[in-house]
Amino acid sequence: MVKTADKIEEEIRAIFSGDTPWVTIVWDDPVNLQTYVVYVFMELFGYSKARATELMLQVHNEGKAIVSTGSREEMEHDVARLHEYGLWATLQRGDQL
Amino acid sequence: MTATEGFKRHGDHSYIAHFADSEKEVLLNLCEQIIELLAERTDHGHDDPLAAMVGITSHDSPPEDEVLHRLLPNAYADSVDASEFRRYTESTLRQKKQAHAISMRIHLKSSDDGTVDLDHENANAWLGAINDIRLALGVRLKVENSSHEELELLAPDDPLRGVYAVYTWLGWLQETLLSALIDDADEDEEAQLGNS
Repeated sequence: MVKTADKIEEEIRAIFSGDTPWVTIVWDDPVNLQTYVVYVFMELFGYSKARATELMLQVHNEGKAIVSTGSREEMEHDVARLHEYGLWATLQRGDQL
Repeated sequence: MTATEGFKRHGDHSYIAHFADSEKEVLLNLCEQIIELLAERTDHGHDDPLAAMVGITSHDSPPEDEVLHRLLPNAYADSVDASEFRRYTESTLRQKKQAHAISMRIHLKSSDDGTVDLDHENANAWLGAINDIRLALGVRLKVENSSHEELELLAPDDPLRGVYAVYTWLGWLQETLLSALIDDADEDEEAQLGNS
C-alpha cells in the first residue's frame, strides 16, 4: 500500500513538473519496405542514414522501436507525420513502457 | 511501348521515370481508387460549421473498413485518448493522404509521353501515395498472415494473383525512387561533413 501511495505521489509530482517524457513508437509492419522506413526516419527526424537504419532494424527485429522522445504535443506531431507516410506509430508516456 | 525502368536521378534533385501507357493507366486507376476510398470518410453530417472549418470531425472511432483503418490508424493504445486525438486530427491526415495521391495523379495525367519528372517534394508525395496503395493492397492480400512464398503460389486464375503482381511491382517502383533519393541524401551528408 505504501508503495502505491509513493507511486501516486511521484505521478502527481511528474504531472506538475511537466517533465514526464513521452515517446513515439513505430511498430513493425509487413508491407512497408525497409528502405522506405529508413528514408522516412531520415526525412522526418533528420537522422543520419546509419541512425535511421539502426532504428529500422530494431523495428524489424524486435517488433517496435522508440523513434523520438519529448513533450506530449511534440510526440503527437511526430505520430501524425509518421501516419501521413503510412508508418504504424503510436505515442505513450515514457514511464509506462 | 517499353516497360518502365523505374526512377533515375537526373542532375540536382530531379527524379525521372518513363511509363508505358498500360503502366500509366494502372497507376492512375490506383490513385483514383485511393482518393475515392479516403473520400468515403469525409464528414458530411457536421452540425458545427466552425468545427468543420478547423478540421474537427465527429469521427471518434476508427473506420470499420479494414483498409481505411490501416490508412487512418489510432495514435494511442488507449481508446479514450485515441478517440480524442482522432476527432482533432483525422480529417487533416485524410486530406494529406488525398493530396499525395492527387499530386501523383496530376503528374501522370499531365504527361503525354509517359515521362514524369519530380522534384524532392513531389517525390515525397509519390512515395507516400505509392505506400498508401501498397498498404491498401496488402490488407486485401492479407500480407500480415501470408508468407511471400504462399502469395507466389496463388493459382493462375486467382484474382489475387494479379493484385499481388501489382503490389510487388509498386514495391520495386518505390525502391527505385528511394535509391535515387537516398543517394542524394548521402551526398548532402558527405558535403556537410566536408564543410565542418
